Amino acid sequence: MKKFTLSSGSTIEKPFNKVWVVLGILTLLIVIFSFFITFEPSTVNLSELGVIIKKMFSPKAGRTWGDYFGFINQLWEPLISTLEMSLAGTVIGSLFAVPIAILAAKNIFKSRFVYVPIRFFMNLVRTVPAMLLAVLAVYFVGIGVLSGVIAITIFTFGIMSKMLYEVIETVDMNPYEALESTGASKVQAFRYAVFPQVFPVFLSYLIYIFEINVRASAILGYVGAGGIGSVIKDNVLYNYDRVGATLIVMLVVILVVQFFSNYVRGKLQ
Amino acid sequence: MTINAQKMLARKPKTWIMNSIFTTILLVAVILSFQGSSINMLRLQTIGVNLRIIGKQLINLNIDFLIGRGVYAFEEGVIYLTIETLAIGFLGTLVGAILALPFSFLASKNIVGIKVAKIGEAILVMIRVFPEVILALVIVKGFGMNALTGMLTIGIHSIGMLGKLFSETIDNMDKSSLEALEAVGATTITKIRYGIMPQIMADLSSITLYRLDINVRSATVLGIVGAGGLGASMILSAENSNWDILGTIMVAIIVMVLTVDAISSHLRSKLV
Repeated sequence: MKKFTLSSGSTIEKPFNKVWVVLGILTLLIVIFSFFITFEPSTVNLSELGVIIKKMFSPKAGRTWGDYFGFINQLWEPLISTLEMSLAGTVIGSLFAVPIAILAAKNIFKSRFVYVPIRFFMNLVRTVPAMLLAVLAVYFVGIGVLSGVIAITIFTFGIMSKMLYEVIETVDMNPYEALESTGASKVQAFRYAVFPQVFPVFLSYLIYIFEINVRASAILGYVGAGGIGSVIKDNVLYNYDRVGATLIVMLVVILVVQFFSNYVRGKLQ
Repeated sequence: MTINAQKMLARKPKTWIMNSIFTTILLVAVILSFQGSSINMLRLQTIGVNLRIIGKQLINLNIDFLIGRGVYAFEEGVIYLTIETLAIGFLGTLVGAILALPFSFLASKNIVGIKVAKIGEAILVMIRVFPEVILALVIVKGFGMNALTGMLTIGIHSIGMLGKLFSETIDNMDKSSLEALEAVGATTITKIRYGIMPQIMADLSSITLYRLDINVRSATVLGIVGAGGLGASMILSAENSNWDILGTIMVAIIVMVLTVDAISSHLRSKLV
């Protein structure tokens, strides 16, 4: 450790630079993890990458560009069910999240025995990826939109309950106390002091999560949960042109929903 | 002018018209969605029955499969696959962060000006909207069914969000220290090292750690299309109704994600 003596006579130590420790750990992790990324030159076929992209964005042999874009007409139904399952899942999941978020907020329920287990449960739900939820749901209720709704509902519940309790914890509690001091019950105080502060944020999160859910549900069909992903799954082996056309529609819808979500959330704030 | 309560109340903005229109539209959309997703009591009852049967098997962990012994090779075991998933998530994030840097410079108006930044932003948006699973489907054709595909998918997909957040950090940077360095005659390298790096490194690392969380989660499902990790065994066991194996995988995912979450948020709290 380097020591410096200042002109005033006091000595200061140069602080230890942690950068080298961090770099060391990082290098170690990279080396260890690299062993698990198996690299076989025989499987790498870069020209295939160009071929597949060309196949996706041009009509298949024997089909015309008219067929390519004509396929989009068949996509309305799966597209609508994708949006339906996102919306239904977002709404149901968010409604379930409200009571749990209130229970998890430290400023409403001050007891550690309430918020610690609730938060652990929330974290547990949040760890399961939407795709795994969909895989499970498909085997519980069968192939179709309903399994997508269930997966999206649980997925939404996980995100919304966490975001919501963090908002509830940051609200200004003075009006709540003021109402309580005038003799209002806890429920009344919550309704008139906390709810108006939280509600606009809740709405804005609702729209944001809907946007995330449209992205997520677009591919859930790949494991049989209905919607536009199932079209990709059905065509991925032989009809790359249809996969490409579906992908274009999917990207446009996601962009539109994203634009709509940004616009509405901008208005809400 | 006298002010009284009634007059003030009358002056309150009439928000109820817009509110009721908005609520009606939302309600109609929700009701239509419920019908479209064909939720009914009979199906809900089936779920209940299935939950009891499959749920019991799900919590019955398969220890042989967990550590990869007996009929399972070590490479098929959950422990190996979990580390492989972690490797995909970690190295993918690293690749993504490195690739995102040039894109973020391209998208920050501080560095390239407003016009070029718009183009850079548009590129990042296009990368962001491309679903990960589809990206993996394409990359798998070029690189084969292995963890390398997963790593590249995660890396390319991460560019979108990392690039956006990086460029915001660069835009919010304090330029005065750069000017001060210039005034004392610093070279470009010195300016980057002492003027830019100390300001943005903490934020960049924090953003990358946050992305690591997300990427480890998505690395668990990329195996569904053959991009390595736990996903392949997950979908296979579900298709063959091997619920004990699926249960073991779920436990592994939950433990792994919770651990990465805890480490990442601990490190992030130290950084800020």
